Amino acid sequence: MADRSQHPGQIMETQTRYDLNTAFENWRAELAAQPNLTAEVRRELETHLRDAIAGFQQRGLNDEESFWLARKRVGQPPQLGEEFAKADPAAVWRERLFWMWLAIFLSGTLGSLASSVTILIPIKNYTAGMATQATSILLASLIPIIIAVSLARGKWLALFSKMTRLVENRLRLIIAACICVALSSSVRIAAFAIINARYNDHSSSFILQGFVSSIHPIIILLLLAWLLPLQNQKIPKHA
Amino acid sequence: MYKTSMLAKDMVAASAKPLLLSILAEGESYGYEIIQKVRELSGGQIEWSDGMLYPVLHRLERDGLIESEWKEADTGRQRKYYFISTAGRKVLKTERQQWLTVHNTLGKLWKHKPVTI
Repeated sequence: MADRSQHPGQIMETQTRYDLNTAFENWRAELAAQPNLTAEVRRELETHLRDAIAGFQQRGLNDEESFWLARKRVGQPPQLGEEFAKADPAAVWRERLFWMWLAIFLSGTLGSLASSVTILIPIKNYTAGMATQATSILLASLIPIIIAVSLARGKWLALFSKMTRLVENRLRLIIAACICVALSSSVRIAAFAIINARYNDHSSSFILQGFVSSIHPIIILLLLAWLLPLQNQKIPKHA
Repeated sequence: MYKTSMLAKDMVAASAKPLLLSILAEGESYGYEIIQKVRELSGGQIEWSDGMLYPVLHRLERDGLIESEWKEADTGRQRKYYFISTAGRKVLKTERQQWLTVHNTLGKLWKHKPVTI
């Protein structure tokens, strides 16, 4: 210690050797492991930790000391998780349900698209019919499976983070989802129109078919708009 | 006999709502600043932990008493700012009256028997 104080340059060196970024990453990972802390809360706590570190640094403490003290003041991640869960136990589940229903909505839209396309394939016999149905199911489930696997393996994270902007507020979510519903419904209407024309059958109204098939996605859409995590509902009105 | 010590836990919990609403009634603020302000105003006797502050802030927001918005601070970093809502101002008015009632009642009782610490 005495030796060090005689060489200010050496102190600087030991200070920079403490990697604040790595410490930050570790803390962030620890926080992310708390199931009760939503992404929004974690982001808020992170800005708080940064402010606290800056505050200690201003008072002349080095990186390591500042980080250590700030971390201590912010609290242990498990305790933070508990406190937040106590304050709003439903919030965590609301967010989970939101993403769950969003996935159901998207796979439903995909399924509807796939089945609309596959009903156009002329069915000659029972086996061919089963094959068509299997293709439809495969088509509808392949994309969600690819997305789920790549997300779970940590690929395309940046792309998906950008995609989440679509659900940043209610208006955007509703517009994006309405486009999905309109698209799948019009494909369905078109498919039924083609089928009706092909068999010269005008007994069923394909327009009605289209409307009926959009009831389910619209119900899910309303549920999604209601479940939308609170922090995403912000409509900036405060300058 | 008694040292001037930190505020008791239940007192901290009870006063959190009026304190937060009063601070935000003076202007928008963010978590770190709020904690600093409370520490400063109370002369270090009210020490809020972050673990306690944010759940309270979020509860007030859910109740519609305050609102929040992510904004860029002078440092260029994004911060979540909180500000009081119209409903919050109304609640603050009632809270203020209730706290003043307690304060005045205790004040009258203690005026005749000054407390010596």
